[in-house]
Amino acid sequence: MFITALPTIAQMIGANRVLRGHAITSPTGDPSLAAGDEADLRRRIVERALEMLSTDVGPSTAWEVSR
Amino acid sequence: MIVVHYLNQFFAGLGGEEAAGQAPARISGAVGPGRGLEAAGLPIDVTLTCGDDFFGEHEPEALARLLSWLGEIEPDVLVCGPSFGSGRYGYACGSFAREAGRRGIPVVGAMTPDNPGVLAAEGAAYIVPTGPSVASMKTALPAIARLAHRLGSGEPVGSPAEDGYLPRGLRKNVRLSEVGADRAIAALLAKLSGNVRTEVESAFDRVTAPPAIGDLGSCTLALVTEAGCVPQGNPDHLPTRHSNIWLRYPLSGVGSLSPARYESVHAGFDTRTANLDPNRLVPLDAVRTLEREGRIGRLHAFFYTTAGVDTPMAVAAKFGQEIASELIPAGVQAVILTGT
Repeated sequence: MFITALPTIAQMIGANRVLRGHAITSPTGDPSLAAGDEADLRRRIVERALEMLSTDVGPSTAWEVSR
Repeated sequence: MIVVHYLNQFFAGLGGEEAAGQAPARISGAVGPGRGLEAAGLPIDVTLTCGDDFFGEHEPEALARLLSWLGEIEPDVLVCGPSFGSGRYGYACGSFAREAGRRGIPVVGAMTPDNPGVLAAEGAAYIVPTGPSVASMKTALPAIARLAHRLGSGEPVGSPAEDGYLPRGLRKNVRLSEVGADRAIAALLAKLSGNVRTEVESAFDRVTAPPAIGDLGSCTLALVTEAGCVPQGNPDHLPTRHSNIWLRYPLSGVGSLSPARYESVHAGFDTRTANLDPNRLVPLDAVRTLEREGRIGRLHAFFYTTAGVDTPMAVAAKFGQEIASELIPAGVQAVILTGT
């Protein structure tokens, strides 16, 4: 699956499992958070990615990390 | 004729990648390439600008702002770009074009034919095809000015081939004097002598989503990235743009991507944040934690990297096929691909 801050482009090109990353300059992090909070965020992003990998999806499906 | 010109932060002179987060702004008259349009006979009344990252990450807000200005100005034509091979800028141009088109404003853009902005425009814009870099500026500007002038003054525009723009995905039935069989033979004979032409453009190939992984806990996962993450010093010289290669690096014994040992050389975004912690591009530390907890079976022993900047679609597809042909025999069942 694909983690990107620009899920619309990924969907247009035909990527099927797309997860919105935090930002273009740091898709799997957030420099405005304290180290511990950022580690938690990265873990949540990867957990959501794993959830998407273990879920059947239709074409061009994009999820948010949420929480 | 009232003409509005849309530019990103770089062409509006606000800065490079570090200014990519700029909110939309409105400037009187022509800026940067807009002056070239004026020299080519298209006076610019207002320039609108937005940072590429701001547009990509706050699209509804950016569009609302830009469209409300368009509503006040009521231009006869909108020119977006030229955005050449830039994906984020092209996407912003195409999306703005689409929305302006829905409000009855003719739009001219200019970018490479496989820029995501072409799809985003959904046929609303007359897009002049360009090369991938600013080197195309000199030829693009007169072509844009010509088309924009036509559209802005309500003159009819001919077919894509006649007037030098990309097909907009609109189908017009025409009657030809020769039947299909004769045209097919003529096209084949032309192809055999090196002149390839087509009556129908090909669409993107679509891949069916693979079924869900049943048991993540026994699955082998691989990390792949187009964010240009490489060992410090880029020892194998990954090109920072127009890359013709991807690279593979070992992850055995590596628990996290430390800034001392890894960096990003991607020329398409501001890498300072990522270079303070490369796990912000390739989330190795989090994957290792989840691997230790048994949430996945194992992480594949290598990660794969390239820098996706002005990468033609055909080249990117080739990279994907080549990487997949290593991952599959190695027993990898799932991939997390990260990108900007």
